[in-house]
Amino acid sequence: MKRGNAAWSWFVMFVGILYFFLPLLATFVFSLKAKLGVLSFYSYEQTLSDPTFVYEFTYSLIWAVLTIIVGILLFVPTAYLIRLRVPQLRGVVEFVTLLPFVIPAIVLVFGLVRTFSHPPLLIVDSPAVLVAGYTVLSMPYMYRAIDTGLRSIDVRTLTEAAQSLGAGWGTILFRIILPNIRVAILSGSFLSFAIVMGEYILAQYLAKPAFAPYMAYQIQQQAYGPSAMAIISFALTWAAMGIIQLVGRGGEQAQLAGGH
Amino acid sequence: MTHLKLSNISKQFAETAAVQDFNLSVDKGEFVSFLGPSGCGKTTTLRMIAGFEVPTTGNVILDDVDITDKAPNQRNVGMVFQAYALFPNMTVAQNIGFGLRIRREPESAIKERVAEMLALIHLEQRGNNYPFQLSGGQQQRVALARALAIRPHVLLLDEPLSALDAKIRVQLRAEIRAIQRKLGITAIYVTHDQEEALSISDRIVVMNVGVIEQVGTPFEIYNFPQTAFVANFVGTLNAVNAEILDPSKGLIAMDAIELKSAEDLKGRQKGEKITIAIRPERLHFASEGKRGNEFDCKIENITFLGSVVRIQVSMGKSRFNMDTFNNPFLELPKIGDKTQVTCSREAVIVLKN
Amino acid sequence: MTVLASEKRDAPIARPAQHKMSWAWVGVLPFFLFAFLFLLYPSSTIAVGSFQNSTTQAFTFKNIVALFTDRYILGAYWISIQISLVTSIGGGIFGFLLAYAAIRGGLPRFMRSSLMTFCGVASNFAGVPLAFAFITLLSPTGLLINWLRALGYNPYYHGFTLYTFTGLSIVYMYFQFPLMVLIIAPAIDGLRREWVEASENLGASTFQYWRFVALPILLPSILGTMILLFGNSFGAFATAQALTGGQINLVTIVIGAQLRGDVLGDPGLGYACCLGMVVVMAIAITGYTVLQRRTERWLR
Repeated sequence: MKRGNAAWSWFVMFVGILYFFLPLLATFVFSLKAKLGVLSFYSYEQTLSDPTFVYEFTYSLIWAVLTIIVGILLFVPTAYLIRLRVPQLRGVVEFVTLLPFVIPAIVLVFGLVRTFSHPPLLIVDSPAVLVAGYTVLSMPYMYRAIDTGLRSIDVRTLTEAAQSLGAGWGTILFRIILPNIRVAILSGSFLSFAIVMGEYILAQYLAKPAFAPYMAYQIQQQAYGPSAMAIISFALTWAAMGIIQLVGRGGEQAQLAGGH
Repeated sequence: MTHLKLSNISKQFAETAAVQDFNLSVDKGEFVSFLGPSGCGKTTTLRMIAGFEVPTTGNVILDDVDITDKAPNQRNVGMVFQAYALFPNMTVAQNIGFGLRIRREPESAIKERVAEMLALIHLEQRGNNYPFQLSGGQQQRVALARALAIRPHVLLLDEPLSALDAKIRVQLRAEIRAIQRKLGITAIYVTHDQEEALSISDRIVVMNVGVIEQVGTPFEIYNFPQTAFVANFVGTLNAVNAEILDPSKGLIAMDAIELKSAEDLKGRQKGEKITIAIRPERLHFASEGKRGNEFDCKIENITFLGSVVRIQVSMGKSRFNMDTFNNPFLELPKIGDKTQVTCSREAVIVLKN
Repeated sequence: MTVLASEKRDAPIARPAQHKMSWAWVGVLPFFLFAFLFLLYPSSTIAVGSFQNSTTQAFTFKNIVALFTDRYILGAYWISIQISLVTSIGGGIFGFLLAYAAIRGGLPRFMRSSLMTFCGVASNFAGVPLAFAFITLLSPTGLLINWLRALGYNPYYHGFTLYTFTGLSIVYMYFQFPLMVLIIAPAIDGLRREWVEASENLGASTFQYWRFVALPILLPSILGTMILLFGNSFGAFATAQALTGGQINLVTIVIGAQLRGDVLGDPGLGYACCLGMVVVMAIAITGYTVLQRRTERWLR
């Protein structure tokens, strides 16, 4: 707090940086050692050109994009209506959006499998269940981001102004509200993106192609591939978070995804 | 008898000189205000007395002891902050007793002193409340009591009232002054509100961009400003460019109008360009009696301010504000009327730029 | 002197009634349908299943009782609780020190934003990639182990192994520290600088400031966040699975194993484990929320 204490702070930061940096360093070094005796990017070349990896990775991308779209389509109108018309449901909705914190992914997937493995809802093999599950996992962050965005614009006045000019609901939502909460949506989207890309449990137990289960499988095969994948995964998350920071104009929204 | 002395104090931050050549002697029991606009260095100087800033040059001497190098927690000066700074996790009583607890005074003595302080600030029933349960004005009084509880040598107040409503401000500043008088404690009060400074200080230090412009009693500062800055900052003022006509007779020419001033112009040249100032309340209608200077002028604007009516008149090329007391039975002139306005020779002040 | 008539403002028109309202209710229906179908209903089937005898579907408490009596399950809960305690307390303390150092510790400004950005990334790095990263660092042939061996010390000869409790705790810290940093940062921001100066002015030393002012103010936040960390660790699965291949019996691992095949001998037990887990998480979230409210009240 005062003049003399910077030494202690530097020490703490040093320990922290060491702890966070060493595993990344180790992974990176390991990824360079695919070719015997030589440091090379061979493992990256192998991984990126491996059709299975591309397949799994692309599917993760697809799931992520779908999750984001579903999230926007589902949460924006809901958050908007709650704010504008049905504030009495606010508490209920907030409770629902917090439930994924209370119901860990492993329990959720257990429930999903159980629910959708029996007729008439025998759709457990459908990707819809996976995307729905991802949407649920990302809901606390996506909904929260959208809600925060709505809070910062005067929704009521904008709506009334649009109505007085003759706009219908569709126009209002998509041409007025949505553009004005662009930043918030982007924020939530990138966070959802990061979550889905790194998600293991749902994809594994719903037996769908995805990045993380593939990586786990590769680890068991003792290949060098996983290290390249780990670095790629980290770089991807970093990029996503970096974009959030940029887009969010430097505000520190607590971007928490917690443990998996 | 000098209690607090600031000698050759200056403070340099990177490229800015926040405070320069600050010299001041304060007597025991004196209430001194540092007055000036934001950035003038008044708060920096106060913080140097408290020990939160270290002077680049100069010394702070309290009761004949040089405290310049002492840590802030060893100076025994009580500070009241603009944002109250009450500890939110402690009750009012605990806040007030904090300094005493640190000094390891016995519980009974602390209790007694806290009760004494609560009585002083008239919040006897609020000892067990938390800061968030009090209003702004109440919180500030608690902050005052907390600073006074430790029996400090000097009381330092950093714009304590700026966060409060106007009415509370007026009330609280009178209370602060009353408490200070009662305890006979030396006080330094920082403010940007000239009315505040004028109403409660024994002396005022007017500051601007890090230097002292003038030190004097409120009466002196207001009636005999020494620089254009002081004249402009304290009270409203009519300031106008003029030229000396005849130094020996005190004659000044403002546009085509001749003014007689009571100021000593010996040693000045004829034709020298100067700035003169006249306080609005020292201009009067000539119909009420001539005072030495008379000029013809035209009424440009009339503003009703409640107890005062401010009339703007044009004299030559300049416009002057003239303040008269409100009188419901007096017929005021209308806009556009021509009239004669008078002021005494003493009312014409020549400013040192 | 004319007195200006003040403009009167009309009160806002109250929302017109009935048919507009039902529109809105229809509008939020998709959300509730979605939540019901993919969150509430599946969760409730788990809850229901935990009270059912798996063969006869009859109502029974036997599964719940087994939670408290079955040695295997109790052991799993105990390990989960242990690791969550260790990583929440350890993660909480060091996370707090890190956050404080970056925010108020006298370090250059960019350290704070760098730390925040990194923590945002790191808290997302959990799961398979994280486990693997630590394998490359601390496995018997890991980078750090090799360095230490070069210096003459092999932790593995002294009982250390990455694949048990200690190792897992070290790995968990990678997302616990950042979570603590991100959540506690606003609370540290809330520590007004005037409080330091006021306490200094009243004669307190740095230690006294912390003991009487800063820590009491921060304690609800710190405790609340630690509880959140506890919940976070309790519910983690992928990291442990990828690191240990399911060898450490955490509750989540047990549930995962049950999902794959009937390892508990009775599906009802699996459901009961899930229910128990949800209860623990619910308590954690509630505890966190309560303590957060308390802090907010003070810092108004």
